[in-house]
Amino acid sequence: MHASGFDRTRPLLLAAMAVLALAGFAIGHPDILSGANFDSMAVFGVEIGMIALGQTLVISGGDSGIDLSVGAIAGLAQVVLGRLLHADVAWPLAVAVTLGAGLGLGAINALAVTWLRIAPIIATLATLFGYAGLALVLSGGTNIDLTQQSSWFLALGQGHVLGLPFQLIVLYLPLLAMFAFLQHGTFYGRALYLTGTNDRAAALAGLRVGRLRGAAYVLCGLTATIAGIVGAARLGTTRPDAGMNDNLISIAIVVLGGTGIFGGTGSVVGTALATVVIAIVDYGLSYNDFNPIYQAGVIGVILIGVILVENPVLARRARRLK
Amino acid sequence: MSAAVMGAPKVPRLRLPQGHEALLLITLAVLVAGIGMFSHGAFWSRINLDNLFVSSAITLIPAIGMTVVILTGGIDVSTGSMLGLTAAIGGSCFAAGWSLAATVPVFLLTGAGLGLVNAVLIIKGKIPPVIATLGTLSIYRMIVFIVLGSNWITQIPPVLTRVFVVDHALWLPVVALIALGFVIVASLFLRYFRWGRHVYALGNNEEAARLAGIRPERIKLAAYVMLGLLTGFAALLTLGQSPMVQTSTGSGFVLQVIAAVVLGGTSLSGGRGTMAGTLLGTLVVQVVDDGIVLLHIQPFWNGVALGVIILAAIGLSSRRDAGGM
Repeated sequence: MHASGFDRTRPLLLAAMAVLALAGFAIGHPDILSGANFDSMAVFGVEIGMIALGQTLVISGGDSGIDLSVGAIAGLAQVVLGRLLHADVAWPLAVAVTLGAGLGLGAINALAVTWLRIAPIIATLATLFGYAGLALVLSGGTNIDLTQQSSWFLALGQGHVLGLPFQLIVLYLPLLAMFAFLQHGTFYGRALYLTGTNDRAAALAGLRVGRLRGAAYVLCGLTATIAGIVGAARLGTTRPDAGMNDNLISIAIVVLGGTGIFGGTGSVVGTALATVVIAIVDYGLSYNDFNPIYQAGVIGVILIGVILVENPVLARRARRLK
Repeated sequence: MSAAVMGAPKVPRLRLPQGHEALLLITLAVLVAGIGMFSHGAFWSRINLDNLFVSSAITLIPAIGMTVVILTGGIDVSTGSMLGLTAAIGGSCFAAGWSLAATVPVFLLTGAGLGLVNAVLIIKGKIPPVIATLGTLSIYRMIVFIVLGSNWITQIPPVLTRVFVVDHALWLPVVALIALGFVIVASLFLRYFRWGRHVYALGNNEEAARLAGIRPERIKLAAYVMLGLLTGFAALLTLGQSPMVQTSTGSGFVLQVIAAVVLGGTSLSGGRGTMAGTLLGTLVVQVVDDGIVLLHIQPFWNGVALGVIILAAIGLSSRRDAGGM
């Protein structure tokens, strides 16, 4: 077993949950099992799933690491992109500039946490305010229409490759592979685990703890930005408040995926599997005409429920290790 | 009632450097002077000042509870949903024709009950406070929808508005006086009572506090329940300020409360902060809010201004404590 403690039973558990959730919704609406609906689920899952990849790194870095600003970054990225496209900037350039801006937003979080030494909850709550406010300022509070943009750009969120959504095949899966490699196959990944497990030991071992954690926030900002861009291309519009519940949902996915909330454990592979479960639940609820508030409520229940079930298990394991 | 617990490290009387409160006072003075000048006196009008005091009071009352929660090293991000749900349940009682005397306890008990739910999840369930309350934030809001359906509640007794908002005593709206009274009581409590000192001891070093015979669970429980209770009271006051409950009542509220507390110098790493700081922090947050309206700045700048102020204020103080670098 990997030292990071990614447990082997988790994938089975998540697969069972996914099947159960799907079966539950299928009883009410058998037509949810159609190809078109799976397509929609995948499309929904990709965006929040990307954000969850970044959130996994941030949380596993320990020291109460958390990024509450992910949704605000996604929203602000959309608005920046929309403004650039409306200023007739060529779309590849506009996307590149937006990605750069997203890295910058992640870097601000990283600096606030590691250089200004503000507690991550407070730092990212403050940037949540700031980014969401900037998105409103830059957009004037309105949606920016992108339906007239290049079809190549819109394909980022609407295209298909081999019959599957473009963003799943060309963006999400490669990103997942890269994050998995980063986490399990590189020095950075191992160093971040050690930092999350015991930052004092990591610092004594000569690791630059602040930089390791900071990089996680930057990468998280990047994934939130990509999710924002894909969302804008998918809907053909930008919304300043696009990512309102993204922090809750991404954290729920990460926790469900087996990343310990106290850092130092977990894997983006678990996060990816948990994304499938949450995508089914969320899509199933909206398919049954539940208001988004109910979706958030149900995900809140899942988040708390998972931790309540897991904490005693973790405590027992810790006792056995002693 | 001196607080020194046998064997516990002596907790200095005021952990917060006086400097931070001075800085806040200067910030506040500059903001008030600037807004007063550029709003051509509109800031100093009786109506504006009253509005400012009423909204400050409604933020300040839960902020007192939030200060204690943060002092113990916790946080509660569900306060806005809690306020919304309390207003929805209390408002439903009003709509069903309950008397004021019968409904006031409903507000207080609902608030305290929701605070208790958070406390149990955090203490018994061992869920990190931010994650537990992020969960209940969405769950409480969902219940608001279930309670209200698609309706608004408008049958709020006008007496609430009259007593809390319209009536004045000692030049201030009554809510503002009540809030000030709460601040003074809480401040004395934190400084001179054993439990108050325990709050600081706990935030400084939970393990040491435990070894010194303090029971952290009890203090945390009391802190979250007290925050719930104060939020329930704030829900009642909110209905006095604007006599209507809708599904969005209270959303965004928690950001103001947390901003006020952390701006006031209360540190999330625990054990540091004062009620005076929270009072000043609340005023800064509300004056910025008010100034943006008075100066006809797009209201969207509100969030940006608050975000920047929080990062700057806390960043400055935490880097200074860390010895610069």
